[in-house]
Amino acid sequence: MAWGGYEERRPDADDGDEELDENDYKAQKDAVLFAIDISRSMLEPPSATDSKKADKDSAVTAALKCANQIMQQRIISQPKDMMGVLLFGTKKSKFRDESSARSSSGYPFCYLFKDLDEPGAHDVRKLKELVEEDEQGSDEILVPSKEPANMSNVLFCANQVFTTNAPNFGSRRLFIITDNDQPHGNDKTAKSSAAVRAKDLYDLGVVIELFPISREGKKFDVSKFYDDIIYRDPTAEEGISGRVTSSKSGDGLTLLSSLISNINSKQTPKRAYFSKVPFEIAPGLTVSVKGYIPLHKQEPRRTCYVYLNGEQAQIAQSETTKVDASTKSVDKTEIKKAYKFGGEYIYFDKEEAQKLKQIGEPTIRIIGFKPRSQLPTWASMKKSIFIFPSEERVVGSTRVFSALWQKLLRDSKIGIAWFLARSNASPVMVAIIPSGSKDEENTGTQFLSAGLWLYPLPFVDDVRTVDLDATPRPADQLTNRMRSIVQNLQLPKAMYNPLKYPNPSLQWHYKILQAMALEEEVPETLDDATIPKYRQIDKRVGQDMADLKAEAAVKAQSLMHSRALKRDVEEDDDGDRPAKRAKPVKKESDSLSNTQLRLAYEQDTLSKMTVAVLKGILASKGLSAVGKKSDLLEKLGQWVEENLL
Amino acid sequence: MADKEAIVYVIDLGESMGDCHGGRTETDLDWSMRYVWDRISTTVAAGRKTWTAGVVALNTDDTNNEQDREGLDGYENISVLQNISPLTMNSVRELQPKIRPSSSSGGDAISAVVVALSMIEQYTKKLKYNRRIILITNAEAPIDDESSEEVARRLDESDIELIVLGVDFDDAEYGFKEEDKSSAKANNERILGNLASQCKNGVSGTMAQAIEELSIPRIKQVNPFKAYDGALTLGDPATQESALSIRVQRYFKTKRATAPSASTVVIKSERGGGPSQSTHTADEDVEMGGIEFSGVKHMRTYRVNDPDAPGGKKDVEFEKLAKGYQYGSTVVPFSESEMNIIKLPSKKGYEILGFVPFSSYGPFVNMGETGIVVAQSHSEEAEVTLSALIHALHEMESYAVARYVQKDDAHPQLFLLKPNPGLEDPFECLYDVPLPFAEDVRSYQFPPLDKVLTVTGQVLTEHRLLPSDDLNVAMSNYVDAMDLSEFGADDEGKPAEYAPIDELYNPVLHRVNQAIKARAVHPDEPLAPPADILLRFQYPPEKLVKEAKFEIESLIEAAEVKPVPEKAQGKRFKKDTVKPLSGLDIDSLLGQKRRTTISPENAIPEFKQLVASAADDATLENAIKQIGGIVRELVRESFADLSYGRAAEDLRVMRETCVDLELPALYNKFLTALKTSILSGELDGDRRQMWTEHIVGRGLGLIARDESEVSDVAVAEALKASYSFLSWR
Repeated sequence: MAWGGYEERRPDADDGDEELDENDYKAQKDAVLFAIDISRSMLEPPSATDSKKADKDSAVTAALKCANQIMQQRIISQPKDMMGVLLFGTKKSKFRDESSARSSSGYPFCYLFKDLDEPGAHDVRKLKELVEEDEQGSDEILVPSKEPANMSNVLFCANQVFTTNAPNFGSRRLFIITDNDQPHGNDKTAKSSAAVRAKDLYDLGVVIELFPISREGKKFDVSKFYDDIIYRDPTAEEGISGRVTSSKSGDGLTLLSSLISNINSKQTPKRAYFSKVPFEIAPGLTVSVKGYIPLHKQEPRRTCYVYLNGEQAQIAQSETTKVDASTKSVDKTEIKKAYKFGGEYIYFDKEEAQKLKQIGEPTIRIIGFKPRSQLPTWASMKKSIFIFPSEERVVGSTRVFSALWQKLLRDSKIGIAWFLARSNASPVMVAIIPSGSKDEENTGTQFLSAGLWLYPLPFVDDVRTVDLDATPRPADQLTNRMRSIVQNLQLPKAMYNPLKYPNPSLQWHYKILQAMALEEEVPETLDDATIPKYRQIDKRVGQDMADLKAEAAVKAQSLMHSRALKRDVEEDDDGDRPAKRAKPVKKESDSLSNTQLRLAYEQDTLSKMTVAVLKGILASKGLSAVGKKSDLLEKLGQWVEENLL
Repeated sequence: MADKEAIVYVIDLGESMGDCHGGRTETDLDWSMRYVWDRISTTVAAGRKTWTAGVVALNTDDTNNEQDREGLDGYENISVLQNISPLTMNSVRELQPKIRPSSSSGGDAISAVVVALSMIEQYTKKLKYNRRIILITNAEAPIDDESSEEVARRLDESDIELIVLGVDFDDAEYGFKEEDKSSAKANNERILGNLASQCKNGVSGTMAQAIEELSIPRIKQVNPFKAYDGALTLGDPATQESALSIRVQRYFKTKRATAPSASTVVIKSERGGGPSQSTHTADEDVEMGGIEFSGVKHMRTYRVNDPDAPGGKKDVEFEKLAKGYQYGSTVVPFSESEMNIIKLPSKKGYEILGFVPFSSYGPFVNMGETGIVVAQSHSEEAEVTLSALIHALHEMESYAVARYVQKDDAHPQLFLLKPNPGLEDPFECLYDVPLPFAEDVRSYQFPPLDKVLTVTGQVLTEHRLLPSDDLNVAMSNYVDAMDLSEFGADDEGKPAEYAPIDELYNPVLHRVNQAIKARAVHPDEPLAPPADILLRFQYPPEKLVKEAKFEIESLIEAAEVKPVPEKAQGKRFKKDTVKPLSGLDIDSLLGQKRRTTISPENAIPEFKQLVASAADDATLENAIKQIGGIVRELVRESFADLSYGRAAEDLRVMRETCVDLELPALYNKFLTALKTSILSGELDGDRRQMWTEHIVGRGLGLIARDESEVSDVAVAEALKASYSFLSWR
């Protein structure tokens, strides 16, 4: 299983016995520990101003709110991943439950507020309460210690949290939020012992992400301390450097939103969908790439079965065994794959069944190029896969990839390729389309990065024949009216930015769940960004729409008129031109004109038509043509009443 | 189409059909039957009651037909082998032995057509059917053409299509001419050709063409499915007078066609205990040609944690469980009646939010299949309004973004609406594709591709990661040389797009279908390789590669790529000394207090550091020994399976190190000892789960020769060591 570690694996899924990926033995899970500095300056509320929009949150409040929001986000999008919150520089110290922890006082001024774990409803509430406590000025947890915490202790504390709770996670990260760029001043010993602990974390495979908070007039200088703490994997893409972006309040942006956007950009651990598939750009020229799935439909988690008879509600884990009809368990070697065919089973043994689905080796092989305009606008099947070069297998991959990307972008071309992600996957033809980066407004966060996309093309088997009777019409006066509507109703920034549109069903699902889990009042409404802004629409294009409607009505009238005339002429023609005989009889019945139909209805002659003719008519109107004659007559009669009378 | 169908195959079984002609090694009959079996198995596969077929044999030794029984002349040596009926696998099996060349040649082809014709007339009466007669013959036997006009008239009256497929018939259009054709055959060909041309729906062709076309996959036609019938609105018609409402219908334009799915079965006779007399239910067992199949079911058992139970888990009955959802780690049980409140109430509708320019959107943002939106067919007002919208969008180069709710209480979706003013499909419509929501986006960050940012914030435009001018030019020439836009050919041989969508066949789907059909007719033959047409686009067209030889070679030269040697991939970076961003020399800091022991709390970092600083093999062995001891202790002290994950991670690092250092024997020795300890239960109880789930399950078994050349363990041996344990259980 390459990706999608969140789906509970279904052992009974018949096909898609997915191959084990290279990373399979290391759980593809992510663990994030927030480490928030609780110092006097972090707790200080921003200087009061008269402005309504002014920031009211202290840095700690903003950090906690941010952690809470990220937690709720993660519950929706990556519920199996872990999260924890460690406060440091607190007067009180707490590690794990005093009873079980061997070293409860081992980390002075460190307060493990939420141990690293899969977050749940109560963690959300606890964090919320802590924020409230902070806002009311608390004397419980959020009290700074007299001296700052020793960073080497903080780092070792984090080390222990990761070692015990997320020993085998593929991605483990420590998010440090602080405004202090010099926690140990010039104390060399303290600095080097922190550096040593940081190396431990590096060796453990924990990545430190720093989210500094800068204050007006004071720049956060990473070189003073944090550059000794932070490592970057030299095999990771060069260019994503160790540069960190400071969060700050100002420019109409609250500290909270600044922090959230900075953390969000690093929030999702980067998981490769594949990393060993060769990219054959030309015969004899192969480079190495990694594939990612940056767009993936997020669904609510499936229902589970709950055991309620214990002390605490708990999920029942299911195990499946394969059995035959007499419930004797079945050995793997006995299993045959059989296809229903003409009421019977046609079977293949296991090797044959496997061979049937194996068409070639995993690869992305370009077979040529086309102008972008040759990609039909309707040719869409499913999400695309993003590929990005990696120097891991082939040195020089990045520059070749970049040259291809630049060429495709410059000349509006696309590559056409044969793509097989795994040896037992179905091959698809893909268009290789370049993306330029699209900057998200004011934050500099990228919505989608620059790179190449594998855009799956439909097979001819996937294209439905839709033969519709809608003769193209010339553009006209109505078009002009409509143009002004289109012009005046652009989406903000003239683009579709998915980040502005949370999925209403998903949000609702989790809102209700959260409320029920916390036994709170169930919300009644949802702030749904996908509902059009009706008032704005009316204000901006109301007049245009009213005019358009009036004109459309007139035009429709005259169109109806001219069609009725034309039809009458045609019907007359029919009478004396036997040459039309070549047309199959049934076709004529299908195309019974509305006028004829109305006539037949009024003269009550519909019932004289045969079932075949009735079905033909119904089908031509897009109605279901199933049932007995009486049903068909009723359906057609109803349609005539609704539409022609 | 779900149309009814009645087909009669008239097959010439005459003596000469048993001979080989035209340089083929197959008899005319076997060759022709490739076509017939393919058609018949297609009908069988559909399993439709309304798709019926019959078989009439010509030139049989005996005579068996209605007309002959009625005493009519000229119907000798014609036998009805299969009356018109839906076909099953049994019909195929019954037919097969009857399709054998006879030793006769006295049947009349046109009479046989009459037999087929009256079969169809009797069977279909005046009902709506697709009627068809397919005549297959090598036309060696004499034909009486006296009544052909009369027969053609009757075929037309009954609305029957006649297809004559002749073995080695001349066909100028297809480009086939048989040399040394006997005059008798030529005459017969002419007679049959005339018959076909006299019919309203008649064709005559040569068998070679029919067989060649067999390899072209047949596309299953699916009736247009109307997904939505209602209003497309701008503004809120319920509250605003100005709001625009267009009555539209939505159909699918693309929809994934899937390969038939297989069921998992076992063959009963292969199961021990002889024919089962046990309580099996009839519908799960299916018989086929004497082999009895039994469906495989999945039996689910449910377990929950229970500290009092042995192993910490106990089984619970399914009936005692409630349904629920998870909010993170919190379980929220739901009663059936509560299930509804978790669904967002929504009203059916298709509402436009606003518009965006073409340039702001890339097709790779599409999340799924395409739909087609057209005006309701009988509403002129909808027609003109939608047409105006389509044209306005097209002229303004804009898309519309709209919220789509298929029916009341369905999930709202956001769609992108694209205009088609009759260009891509010959009618006016909007195409729609689903858009991603905020939750669907994973903001992965990647460095820019056209510049390099250094740690210090410098921007470089020349770098080994960036293409040189030479490479850019070579790439540009290559891309232009491999242009497919006019490399193909259309029906008239004019240049056309190569590999357009209507030539892309789903390889797996058709491969599976072909294999099933082949197996149904010839159960004993091995799998044939996939048809060439399915793999046509697997490689760039040879001709083009030849033409672009120079550009390809220049590109390869300018690219200067070098594969990283297999071995270096794993440990390449480990050899570099790792430094934090500041470049601080941590090793010297660590060196000040050189480690010799590894603490269990901080095992992995200390182990790695000890290994990195080791100067001799003894230190290495010592380090490996120490971490091994820690693994054992973790397992021994683990409460239930609590520390298994941690032990496994230590083990993984140990294994990785042993592979890198080419010391597989140390790991293998340790693991073998660990397994023995687990088996003997000396690690404080039953620790088998550690072995099965954490060691074998995570690929931490013995290091075999495929991973480390110096290992003395063979791959099979390593596998056996991992799993021998399982069967023991």
